[in-house]
Amino acid sequence: MSDADGATESGQRWTDRRVGQHLAVAQREFDTVVRTRTYAALAAVFGLIVVALPALGGLAGYLPLVLDLSTPVEVLVPVLAFGFGTWTVLADAQGGELDVIRTYPVSRGTYVVGAFLGRAVGLLVAILVPLALLGVATPVVREPATSVLASHGTVDSPAYYARFVALTCGYALVTLALAMAVSSLARSRRTGAAAAVLAVLAVVLGFDLVVVLGVAEGLVGPGTLPFALAASPPGAFRGLVLATATGGLLETGPPAANAAASLVGLLAWLVAGLAIAAFRAW
Amino acid sequence: MTDRDQQAADGTEDPTREGTTSADSATSDESATSADSAAGSAGAEPDAVSGVDSEVAGEPAVVAESIRRSFGDLAVLSDVSFEATAGTVNCFVGPNGSGKSTLLRIVAGLLAPSGGRVRIPAGEVEADDVARGRTVGYLPQTPSFRPQFTLAETLGFYEELAGVDIDPEDVLARVGLDAVADRRMGDLSGGMTRLFGIAQATVGDPPVLVLDEPASGLDPTMTEHVGTVISDLADAGHTVLLATHELGTVDRVGDTVLVLDDGIIQVADAPDTLRRETGSETLTHAINQYLVGDAGGLTVRAGRREGSDE
Repeated sequence: MSDADGATESGQRWTDRRVGQHLAVAQREFDTVVRTRTYAALAAVFGLIVVALPALGGLAGYLPLVLDLSTPVEVLVPVLAFGFGTWTVLADAQGGELDVIRTYPVSRGTYVVGAFLGRAVGLLVAILVPLALLGVATPVVREPATSVLASHGTVDSPAYYARFVALTCGYALVTLALAMAVSSLARSRRTGAAAAVLAVLAVVLGFDLVVVLGVAEGLVGPGTLPFALAASPPGAFRGLVLATATGGLLETGPPAANAAASLVGLLAWLVAGLAIAAFRAW
Repeated sequence: MTDRDQQAADGTEDPTREGTTSADSATSDESATSADSAAGSAGAEPDAVSGVDSEVAGEPAVVAESIRRSFGDLAVLSDVSFEATAGTVNCFVGPNGSGKSTLLRIVAGLLAPSGGRVRIPAGEVEADDVARGRTVGYLPQTPSFRPQFTLAETLGFYEELAGVDIDPEDVLARVGLDAVADRRMGDLSGGMTRLFGIAQATVGDPPVLVLDEPASGLDPTMTEHVGTVISDLADAGHTVLLATHELGTVDRVGDTVLVLDDGIIQVADAPDTLRRETGSETLTHAINQYLVGDAGGLTVRAGRREGSDE
């Protein structure tokens, strides 16, 4: 066997083992989610609220559905994501199993990315099931279209809802990455729980309050407002929803969102969350 | 009866098992390095169940050089040096708080020493982090595994991390748990969890096994079983480092007893030698002769403050 063949085979073995490790960690996390009643309960509560809110008001179409769901999802998704992600690294660390894992030839990055992927699948299933249910039910039980739609000349379309669902999934992944960062930073279950609550409050309220303060102090003007909003996970999510999933319905004043900046903002939070988790896992 | 039990009964212990140790207290200013207990054979695919390479038997498997470790101003390990020969059982004994677990965590690569270093010759082959095999198997003092998974599933997870192919039932059979392979971890007793932890430590056939109190809290039957398992692992070529208060197990399976107290290894020798040299009938009495300022026995001690005479 030539040196080149040997190097190729060695590289293939390295890749196979890496992939195997990622999948093993991901499978373990997914199975943990599936086999733990707490996660099922969290998902059920989330699903009930998400389905009930628009259903109680009447399903008038996909655009009204997006508008009805935007704010609840903005708040509930971080709660669900932190519920799914906070115990990931922390549970292994507190139970002592992380020490065992560390004696295997597995890197922190592999462990964190694998855990993220496994939890992400569980989280996305919990989010997609009720949203899909609403998506299927809307054309069946649709009530007369609202006058708002007519006055703006916007044609209702499932494409808007599909974009909203996709953006919600992206937002969920970002907040899950932040939950994993909290999970790796916490040193006990108590501090983990406290940090998770604070983090959810910061994500849901804190960033927007800072922007409001910035506007009040004159630090944030109309030109910089879209970028300031894009700097926070919920602001970026909101910006992308406004820019891509409402059919221009809410564009009545100066632009309040910048799609590109919002996308960059979400990606930055995703990478930052995973990087912190990987750096602090052990 | 294991080979080791038979040898002990016959008084014919294999001299190659004798762990060479040094308890020299010479200080070293060698810069602090983390335990380089990494790296196994590059590209080598360790066999999960066949035992480690018998050719390394008799060679130093673990070399600790002037290990120091402090937590803040609390010096737990002042200057610990020892060598453990391949295929031997090396038992660290000493009072609570003497630093046994700290030392084992350093050997396992889980804790960086404040000074000194640990070398594991079998792992000193250049390799990247993933291509290497597993160098050290580890049983924590309080083993815990995700309760939702069966024993076989948990071993399967570690099999993937180690990058080896194993038969979970074979690995579990090593510790007598093959009959409960499909039981959930959460349904195991403390003793069975500890046994499973030992089985887990052997996944990937690491040359060195670090077991922190493997028989703690177990009933006599289970304790004896753990001793037999440890003995079998050493017979298969693993170098076992364990911390324990179970001196019966030490007497039965230990090749070398390392008495750790006051931040250093006070003595390191075979159980019989310790008894003979101290004129003691029991190992407990022999070990107590080496405990600093505490002839009363293995008692709870606080850590020692650096610079203190205490």
